[in-house]
Amino acid sequence: MELFAQFLANGLVSGTFYALSALGLTLVFGLMRLVNFAHGDLYMVGGLLGWAATSRLGLGFFSALALVILVLAAAGWLIDRFCIARLRDQGEEPGILFTIGLSIFLANTALLVVGSTPHQVPAPVPNEPLLLGPVVVTKARLFAVAVCAATITLAHLMIQNTRLGKAMRATFQDPLAARLAGINTDRIYASTFALGAALAGTAGMLLGSIYVAQATIGGLVSLKAFVVVILGGMGSFAGAILGGLLLGVAESLWGGYVSTGTVDIIGFLLVILILLVRPYGLFSRRAERA
Amino acid sequence: MRAITTAVWMAALMAALPVAALAQKEPVRIGVIQPLTGSVAYNGTSDVNGSRLAVEERNRKGGVLGRMVELVIEDGQCKPANSVNAAEKLIQKDKVPVISGAFCSSSTMAVMPVVEKNRVPLVTGVSSMAGLTERGNRWFFRATETDALLAKSFAKILVNNLNLKTIAYIGVNDDWGRGGVDEFSKQIEALGGKTVLKEYFDHGTTDFYTLLTRLRATQPDGIFVAAETQDGSLLVKQMKELGVQSKVFGVGSWATNDFVKLAGAAAEGIYAAVPYAATMDTARNRGFVNAYQAKHNEFPGKYAAAGYNSINIIMDAIERAGSTDAEKIRDALVKTDYEGPNGRFRFDPKGQAYGFTVVLVQLKAGVPQVVSSTTVEAH
Amino acid sequence: MKRIEGRALLAFVAAGALFALAVGDEYLLHLCVLVMVYAILATSLNLIIGYVGEFPLGHVAFFGIGAYAAALLSVKAGYPAWATLPAAAFLAAIAGFGIGAITLRLQGPFFVIVTLAFAEVLRLIAGNWVSFTNGPMGIAGIPHPAIIDLGGFFSGKRGYALLGLTLAAVSLFAAYRFVYSNAGRAAVTIRENRYVAQSVGIQPWRYALFAFVIAASMAGLAGAFYAHYLSFVGPEVFGFSFTASMIIMVLLGGKGTLTGPVIGAVAVTVLEEYLRETKELRLTLFGLAVMGVVLFAPTGVVGALHRRLARGG
Repeated sequence: MELFAQFLANGLVSGTFYALSALGLTLVFGLMRLVNFAHGDLYMVGGLLGWAATSRLGLGFFSALALVILVLAAAGWLIDRFCIARLRDQGEEPGILFTIGLSIFLANTALLVVGSTPHQVPAPVPNEPLLLGPVVVTKARLFAVAVCAATITLAHLMIQNTRLGKAMRATFQDPLAARLAGINTDRIYASTFALGAALAGTAGMLLGSIYVAQATIGGLVSLKAFVVVILGGMGSFAGAILGGLLLGVAESLWGGYVSTGTVDIIGFLLVILILLVRPYGLFSRRAERA
Repeated sequence: MRAITTAVWMAALMAALPVAALAQKEPVRIGVIQPLTGSVAYNGTSDVNGSRLAVEERNRKGGVLGRMVELVIEDGQCKPANSVNAAEKLIQKDKVPVISGAFCSSSTMAVMPVVEKNRVPLVTGVSSMAGLTERGNRWFFRATETDALLAKSFAKILVNNLNLKTIAYIGVNDDWGRGGVDEFSKQIEALGGKTVLKEYFDHGTTDFYTLLTRLRATQPDGIFVAAETQDGSLLVKQMKELGVQSKVFGVGSWATNDFVKLAGAAAEGIYAAVPYAATMDTARNRGFVNAYQAKHNEFPGKYAAAGYNSINIIMDAIERAGSTDAEKIRDALVKTDYEGPNGRFRFDPKGQAYGFTVVLVQLKAGVPQVVSSTTVEAH
Repeated sequence: MKRIEGRALLAFVAAGALFALAVGDEYLLHLCVLVMVYAILATSLNLIIGYVGEFPLGHVAFFGIGAYAAALLSVKAGYPAWATLPAAAFLAAIAGFGIGAITLRLQGPFFVIVTLAFAEVLRLIAGNWVSFTNGPMGIAGIPHPAIIDLGGFFSGKRGYALLGLTLAAVSLFAAYRFVYSNAGRAAVTIRENRYVAQSVGIQPWRYALFAFVIAASMAGLAGAFYAHYLSFVGPEVFGFSFTASMIIMVLLGGKGTLTGPVIGAVAVTVLEEYLRETKELRLTLFGLAVMGVVLFAPTGVVGALHRRLARGG
């Protein structure tokens, strides 16, 4: 029984991390119907930037995080305004192809600039283990979970309560109507992509303090994020959280009781299953439109 | 008058040209296939660094056969298809007479038929899958240990020193990781150690908690790990976080600064079986370590040494062959007798190197202390 | 249109034959073989992207199935190449039927991700089922096709190039016949507007599945040929690098045309190899090139040509 408790705890922790990693993607996926293959690489840039800011510029964790958010939001805005905007009425493939190219570019430029060495972002909280009953967890992980929760809540509040957030939701529901209501949808799209990038970068830096920040990790992060988004439904915050937790716990239980080597399979099997049964994810309420 | 001056100048120039041409002789080109991008780029780059250092040292002493040495480096990405592409380009387009590569055993295995067909020798300093030298390819030379050799050399010491009765095995899920786990478990089981767990993880995994939870439940005396810097450091760190008390030993580039930096306090006390450590105490190694450190600001690890050794062996062979003919280089490689930072290298009839030293180190305060060393025997 | 495309394809096959017979440089012949593999693969992907209108990011699954089928049948069961090639295509077709039946119910990004999920599952199975597929160690020693042993013109890389050309010609012909058949025209209608198609009695699902199965078997054929050429197959045949290359070829050359994928295959193979000159910058430049093409030449080379011709140039 105590093994199960540990597996569950592991799953909930890694699930929260998955949720944050996927949040930016689900926003972009949901609002812009853009399959952003560069999402994992934006995460990677956030992680490496966070490492550079803390170890080279000597910034504290949170100041570095603020820097990462600013830089990635700006980059996201520019990418959308100057590149993705041109591709918007051409269907999905140009977007996919563009982000694949962007992904290759980002990963290899990072490799050129920083090299292939794995790095770690120093966490503001030590890595000591903490015993909660029979379950072991570290202080650093709890801290990261807390930051994830805070970030998700902040993002949610932003989307619900600010003008920008309301404009985003309106554009999500019906772009034409939003434009008729006077919303500058181009700016909304750019802001959404910027927000998605900033969230990806935040996850990258935060998780770079638990795991690693390295130029080559983007691809795997993207794949896992896709799984979470599909499980939870595009554009749904609650979906991203629950999708992330579901993936984390499923992987943990599969790895614990079946086989650790094939753990990645469970995510994809879940995707296939979900898409057969509830094609729009567990939480999406969209219907097909002619 | 001017016509005569011009004519004189032109005659002088034309006389000088062949002399100038002679002075700038064609460099000797050696092909290199290493992963420069992709997930093992980190280790492939170390190998290239070591290779380049060897070339610089040799060029400073006048090069090989009186000509400068030049490396033609291609990115194999540790993928068989790309490595084969790289080999084709090096052989057909750049016409190199000899190649060093291709790092991952599966890539090397894919390249071996290519070099055999084109009659170009291939030297690897890294690929450790035992079966490579059993394929009867007379153009292939392995200038490093195999998993089987390491296991046989150190299993006894490990079992005795660490008092191992029950052992868990963790390896990265590729040919190298599986090979390491297979060989070590075979040897240790023969010595009476019981295997309680054998699991593999994908390269790039960052969260090992589930695996380690299962491992902790089996409470092994020792844990064998086959993982590289990135995965290995995370694994070891998370072991400490979860409170795993067992002794850790394994294979991989652990005796390096980066590993210690990433693993932090968790690196303390870990044993690693490696064909090279910067702390090996020979004059040749001291020279190599100083030169590498001066250039790259860090100690060399096993991949840097691998690149350094492979290229030196190749350059020696070219010198011995007295020409850049691939067939002659191959015959000269057979007669290799090279003193590297980690011992003396000679090749047995199957192309497997022997005579060099492999060591078991223990990381103490971030420094790999040599616990035991042994010379690799010829079969 | 039909005539021009048909002639262009014939021209490609003829040029390929000429190249394979005339050129002696082994490296160039090696590139020729790669171009053939990619031409088949890109054409198969294009059937789905260009003619059904969906984006199967997991298409490489069929390439991998074909490769492993050929590897296992020849190494473990001893079948010769002339049997493994069609067998691999057939097995890939069956897989196409199964996977298509499940995935074609979805559209847009969902189709994209679920096909990717299938490809990843296969990759993980190939990498972990050690007793069957030899896991990450892969299957080595795949024998070469008997035709290579005939000697003379067929020896060495030239033999492979000619064999590849033959397979490519067959595939292109199949694609040509499909596109200009009723089934092909139905598929295009579905791509343009699903609902209108349904209103005139075309059942989207059946035609999409038909195209999917053909595409899958073609990709399987390419995979099998690749396995015999490289003599080694590992889980990376299900990997993303093949996916990325295929997609770039189809989109660069021009989707929805028959000549586009072929042009794309030639262009990308040449580009990938010649970018080697730039060493470390290679992949960075490649990423930039992809972004550039998408932004400035989205209909690909063939699309740009069409526009030129339409303008009366």
